[in-house]
Amino acid sequence: MTSLKLRQYLENAAIPIFAVLLGLLVSSLFVLAAHNDPVQTYQRLFCEGFGPRGCQTFSDLVIFRAPDAANPDVLQTFFAPLYGIGGHTLAVVLERITILILTALSATVAFQAGLFSIGMDGQLVLGSITAAFLGYWLPNQVYALAGVDAKTATEPLLTIMHLAMPLLCIAAAMIVGGFYSWIAGYLKVKLNVNELIVTIILNAIAVSIVHYLVNNPLRADFTNTARTARIDDTAWLVPFNRGLLPDVEWFSGSRVGIGIIMALVAAVAIGFYLWRTTAGYEQRMTRGSGLFARFAGVANERAALRAMFISGALSGLAGAIQILGVERRVVDGFAGAGLGFDGVLVAVLARESIVGILIVATFFAGLEQGAINLQFGDIPRQLGGIIIAFIILFNSMEDFFRRGLTRLRLKLRPPKSNSNTITGEAKTI
Amino acid sequence: MIALLNINNRALRIGLIIVGVIVAIVFFFGMPDQLVRSSIRLATPYILGSLAALIASRAGVLNLAIEGKMLLGSFVAVAVLYKTGLNPIVGVIAAMLSGGALGFVFAVLYLRIRINLVILALALNLFVANATVFFLRVSFGSFGTLADPSINSLPIIDLPVISSIPLLSRLSGYNLLVYLSWVLVFLVWLMLFRTRFGRHIRAVGENREAAETVGINVTLVQIFALTISGMLAGMAGAFLSIGVLSQFVEDMTAGRGWTAITVSLFAFEQPIAAFATSLFFGLSESLSFYFQTQLKIDLPPDLLLAIPQISALSALILVALRIRAAELLKRRNFVAQFGHELNNLRKGVFVGGQD
Repeated sequence: MTSLKLRQYLENAAIPIFAVLLGLLVSSLFVLAAHNDPVQTYQRLFCEGFGPRGCQTFSDLVIFRAPDAANPDVLQTFFAPLYGIGGHTLAVVLERITILILTALSATVAFQAGLFSIGMDGQLVLGSITAAFLGYWLPNQVYALAGVDAKTATEPLLTIMHLAMPLLCIAAAMIVGGFYSWIAGYLKVKLNVNELIVTIILNAIAVSIVHYLVNNPLRADFTNTARTARIDDTAWLVPFNRGLLPDVEWFSGSRVGIGIIMALVAAVAIGFYLWRTTAGYEQRMTRGSGLFARFAGVANERAALRAMFISGALSGLAGAIQILGVERRVVDGFAGAGLGFDGVLVAVLARESIVGILIVATFFAGLEQGAINLQFGDIPRQLGGIIIAFIILFNSMEDFFRRGLTRLRLKLRPPKSNSNTITGEAKTI
Repeated sequence: MIALLNINNRALRIGLIIVGVIVAIVFFFGMPDQLVRSSIRLATPYILGSLAALIASRAGVLNLAIEGKMLLGSFVAVAVLYKTGLNPIVGVIAAMLSGGALGFVFAVLYLRIRINLVILALALNLFVANATVFFLRVSFGSFGTLADPSINSLPIIDLPVISSIPLLSRLSGYNLLVYLSWVLVFLVWLMLFRTRFGRHIRAVGENREAAETVGINVTLVQIFALTISGMLAGMAGAFLSIGVLSQFVEDMTAGRGWTAITVSLFAFEQPIAAFATSLFFGLSESLSFYFQTQLKIDLPPDLLLAIPQISALSALILVALRIRAAELLKRRNFVAQFGHELNNLRKGVFVGGQD
């Protein structure tokens, strides 16, 4: 029994790993087409994505030998992920995965209610524009009410604002995102309009709304690219290397901040919600069969709407963190970059499991980060996207692989009792 | 209210169509020449793209990979013409074939290897978006844009008689693909509703199992439909790259493939209606340019771009309301007809229970 469970577990883990390897293998054809050595390219890619500064080979990803701080002539061995002199690329990856984790959770919550919503992009950009607007408007209102200037504000007031402003902005962004997603859920539940199509349309509408807002009413200055005003310092989620942990060199060069902690908390909370609460059970039951859930006494419509609202709120949170923690303003082109789509892909690759999302998001962000910094030969950064596309393709061929595996197993070790008679019959025929 | 929404009667439907046609004619003759021309040009990728989407939907496959197929078509068209100086029609054919090939691969991966439809489409779109830029840099050494005087764009053709008639001349003076898209609307309609193959496509889309039972090879029909759909999408892409500017720009389709899917839904997967809807989408797109450049009106062009999307959403809601209304009406008629019997039944059961 336990061995069967173990085997299932191994099989479940083996297919994604196999998909990753196969994806890398097929993508290496593209590297070859660009007249480059795949091994060296991948070495560079992974070093730029996951390694410490100065990483050169695959082994540097785990064990890194660097000169000792006290005695530069002696090479000392470090555990690479913790070697932070000059900043670690994993810190940049952490900055990128915040948004990936949250949008992937958003997709997962919707999928787990049986709703294939891909509206993360629209909810994210609306959430981010809300946060960007409130981030500079709200503090100014408070200053005006208190009758002080931003520079002359007293310490207690600033402390309170530092605590309250980000929370207010995030809450507003979550509500906006939630309601935007709720529209699609409502149309699905009440009128049975395909939620996939509605979310595609809602994405396009959200992008043009944000595009309009950035270009017209919220435009701050007349630079070449339109952008909103920078958020007030009190609404800023200060990155670790500027605020909380200025001395840890591991974080230098990265804008990762309190947002990643929020994302991890959200991951745990969503995991708890989906698998440990009644509400989560209701929405998963609705996914299985809405009619059955209703007959069992579950308010399936309410469960679906709740799922959509939570999904949208998570995307809104992702947008808010991206603005309050990283970008600090919305630049024209932020909407329409398709930031929310990556979350759908992560959720799909992780098969809607929370731990899977954390792993896949890290891998995803590392690949993209590595591809951006890839200054090897003349490989464009789009190699990262190609690898990811192939990994998704191979990963979703699960059934095909399983069928092949079963066929192979039968061929190698035919079942004893039946196979003899079958082959016997075959011979007689 | 319910009866109003239930537009099943013929007179109301025909009336609506007539009103639409009149509005279209007024717009066509009443608006400035430039505006009409640019809307027709901008509508062309939507016409071809929505035809691609509706053929796939009619065969029962929601084709979300139109965006990728369009992008591939526009890239291949330019890539083939670059430095070869061939006739642009060769570029169009190459784009068509590449789109068709991608459609075929899509069909095989979906139908034989059984990858989830949506995931497959998203992965293909991601792949094409990245691979085009990758090869743009690797094979042609250009960053983001491929433009060269050796790339011929499609020549403009004047229709012989129509171009001399004053107002109708607006129908003339476009490139080959624009005319071809009009012809294709008719051909697709003919194929879907007047041929055996089209009947099979619709049968498969309506009810897969039933079609299988009558002996239709469902897989084969779907593969053919998806391949044709890919060819049309590739052509739409070719129009974007060599129909207007004769260059390829990174992410050239810019969401037009997704919009084309919306168009096909808006038009209830009817070719003729898709043609009209595409013109509407093209019009609102060209209006947004027109307001900016010609009239200097300070009207937000981005919100104009959202108008077709919002109307598509409203159309979806209206259709859903209509279906709901039809159901309600059916139920009401049923109760009116058999209500007393139902009541008797209910009473009988109740009495029976008491005994």
